[in-house]
Amino acid sequence: MVMSRLQKIPVVEEKKGNPLARVFDDLVRFCRSRSLFILHYCTGCGAIELPPAMTSRFDMERLGIQPMVSPRQADILLITGYVSIKTLKRVILTYEQMGSPKYVVGICSCTVNGGMYWQSYATAKKLDEYMPVDLYIAGCMPRPEAVISGLQKLMDRIKNGEADSWQDYYRNYDYYLGNQQKLFGEDWQTPTDIITEAKHYELMGEGTLGQHTRLLEQHQQPLEALEMRLGHKLKEPVE
Amino acid sequence: MIFSLLDELLIFSAATVLVALILGRGLAVGWMVTILYGGQLLVLIKMAALGYGGDPIASELSLSVMGQDLSWRFDALSWFFALITLVAALLTSWFSCGEWERKFKQQRGNVWLFHLAMALNVFTMLILLASGDLLSLFIGWELVSWAGFLLMAVAGGVATKAAIRYITYAVVGGMSIFGGIALVYAAAGSLQYEAILIAVEKMSTGQLWMLVLLFGSGFGIKMGLLPFHLWQAAAYAETPGPGSAFLGAISSRMGLFAILLVLVKLFGIVNIDSLKIPFTLIDARDLLAWIAVFTIIFPTYTALKQNDARYLLAWHGIGQGGYMLLGLVTANSLGAAGGLLHVLNYAACQAALLMAVFAVMHRTGTADLNKLGGLVARMPLSFLVLLTGIIGLAGLPPMNGFVSKWLVYRSLLEDGMPLLFLGTIIGTLGTILSVYKLIHNMFLGQLRVEHEQVREAPWSMMTPMLILAGTIFVTGLLPGIPLTWVSAALQTIGLTGPEITLGGIESSSGSLDMIWVIGVLFAGFGIGAVIFYSAGPSKRVHQLDNYAGGHFLTADVRYQYSDNFYSGLMHLIRGWYRGSFQWLENSITSLVEFLSLGMQGIYRRANSEFYLLSTALFIIAWVVF
Repeated sequence: MVMSRLQKIPVVEEKKGNPLARVFDDLVRFCRSRSLFILHYCTGCGAIELPPAMTSRFDMERLGIQPMVSPRQADILLITGYVSIKTLKRVILTYEQMGSPKYVVGICSCTVNGGMYWQSYATAKKLDEYMPVDLYIAGCMPRPEAVISGLQKLMDRIKNGEADSWQDYYRNYDYYLGNQQKLFGEDWQTPTDIITEAKHYELMGEGTLGQHTRLLEQHQQPLEALEMRLGHKLKEPVE
Repeated sequence: MIFSLLDELLIFSAATVLVALILGRGLAVGWMVTILYGGQLLVLIKMAALGYGGDPIASELSLSVMGQDLSWRFDALSWFFALITLVAALLTSWFSCGEWERKFKQQRGNVWLFHLAMALNVFTMLILLASGDLLSLFIGWELVSWAGFLLMAVAGGVATKAAIRYITYAVVGGMSIFGGIALVYAAAGSLQYEAILIAVEKMSTGQLWMLVLLFGSGFGIKMGLLPFHLWQAAAYAETPGPGSAFLGAISSRMGLFAILLVLVKLFGIVNIDSLKIPFTLIDARDLLAWIAVFTIIFPTYTALKQNDARYLLAWHGIGQGGYMLLGLVTANSLGAAGGLLHVLNYAACQAALLMAVFAVMHRTGTADLNKLGGLVARMPLSFLVLLTGIIGLAGLPPMNGFVSKWLVYRSLLEDGMPLLFLGTIIGTLGTILSVYKLIHNMFLGQLRVEHEQVREAPWSMMTPMLILAGTIFVTGLLPGIPLTWVSAALQTIGLTGPEITLGGIESSSGSLDMIWVIGVLFAGFGIGAVIFYSAGPSKRVHQLDNYAGGHFLTADVRYQYSDNFYSGLMHLIRGWYRGSFQWLENSITSLVEFLSLGMQGIYRRANSEFYLLSTALFIIAWVVF
């Protein structure tokens, strides 16, 4: 699987055409990299390193990084430690609710390979099997310096336009969904309809649909957004 | 006999009462009465010269009772208040036509009595506004009180209780005013304004104090000034929908009108200013100003605690009265204009807000803030009206409330009254917090399952609401139009208004041009809109696709934060809610009950003939000696 994904790494082609268009893209990317809101999903012991990283001692905000309370406005999902299966459902829900472009940072060894919970039956070992991870910061736990240097690396990648693994979730949804179904059962679904979203953002890839998504469609109960209605189209209310 | 325009107006208004009385059981009475209010408004518009400084219009009708000449006339002040009254009556009556009326009937409401009470209220208010001397003022005052009682009591049940509480207060107020009038008569020998103006100059400080207290408290009761405010919220909130909007918009302002007429015009701010309170640094005018500020603060924070949308707004109504009085008590050109302008601005906002609340109540059957939510998706126009109204009520641009409040703040700062200014700011903070609670708990957040099929209010209700929302915005954009009327009204009570432009005021210490303010504001919105619409495709999500700390939300799990709203703030200020005024009212009630029980005891136990004899003897002795 890893090999096949390695082959899918896109080759960056030199763009030709309007040079100003690239200037604008660069500017957008620069701005994006300097204004990052993190949603820290504090699942494990790594969370304890975040307060010093955020507050005056190491002061993340000088890099333009600050905490955010809701996924809709957040750019980075910070997973700070081991992810139990129960937690993973919530993490996936939260990740899918974030607006693109979004980045996932896994902190601590537990997110890389399960760490000291390697033998636990209730822990998801590799985070990147369930959602695309942009960056791992290994360590048990990594110190705030390491966290900040990792985030700086992410900033560089965003600035250079390399941090686009969030698109991978749409393009290879079937792969991620398959892993999720293996863990949570066949009737697993979240409120967010990723396939419709992929169509909406024009991010359909070869791996978007597959056997797992077919399974999902059998169970899925779609949630339709509330339309603003002036009312008279509706039926008489049942009294 | 040639009728003047004022006679036409009063006759028209009386005819409306008659139509409501006689044809009230017919089918389309609501529409008929609404059209008649429109007719009254047209006559009033024919008098529009008054609003631009025209000569007062007198009524041909004049009476002479026991040597007292009673007369009625309209000047710019009366015209200004009458305009608000009639527009409010027209729109609220419009609101009541059609579906609302049908539902009211289904709930066994008395439509005939409701329309009659509304028409009577309008008629009596016009009589009060037209009063040309203290006696006709008193007659109008009592008529308004009882007409108000009728409207409040229409709904029955809790409403009747509230109405009886109101009329108890109103009778006490009436007595106090009557006492004041008697004192004035003793001093001036006449109840004509001209005679009183002369007599006031010769009055002693004690006499003036007595009069200020008697009239101030009498009129203050109607306005809901502290400590006489307890009756108002329940009485207004429990009145049937459109009636509540009408009362909330204008009824209390009759108290302000009378205060302006008697305290400001007859006694004069200068005289009130000279009434020092011994051993303190303040005088009667400061006292009034502080009462106004506390009237802003306490009811506003009581509103913050309410869980019923109607009560929340009714408590606000009391608080907003404080801004008007405060502005007028400062009596400089900015403050007086701001205070009087706030009467109009507030009336538009309050009527719109109450109508929106009653529209929601009409559709969902409840105004309980813990049982609503998410209605913006089902009643977007009502949401828009409520939004316009709360922005106006909180005094934020681009709505009209901003202009009047800005003028009041400005006058307080210019006069060097920082503490009063601070008080108004605390009040405004409470207003903003509670109106946010209102719109959040009703329209934002999660739509409840039982409201899935709710529809927008019918057009018979929506149209007057939208007209009011439009008025709120237009008078905010072009405050010069109403300010001209305000300026003319101020001149009739001996105050001067500021220099007026179409967009606001011109002043050496700082002008206000709302056209610019709103232009800049909307330019900001425009930039935001450009960013939003150019940023690529957006996506609507379902309300259950929401973040709750990672929880999976379902329709049976409520994720609407409404109960114990502002718990953090409430934790801090909980100790201040002591119910002291309630306690005061209760203790006075107990005292009166105790005394009356005592009297009853004496009366019943002893021989009643003996009492009759002794009373007769006492009276004879009093007459003889």
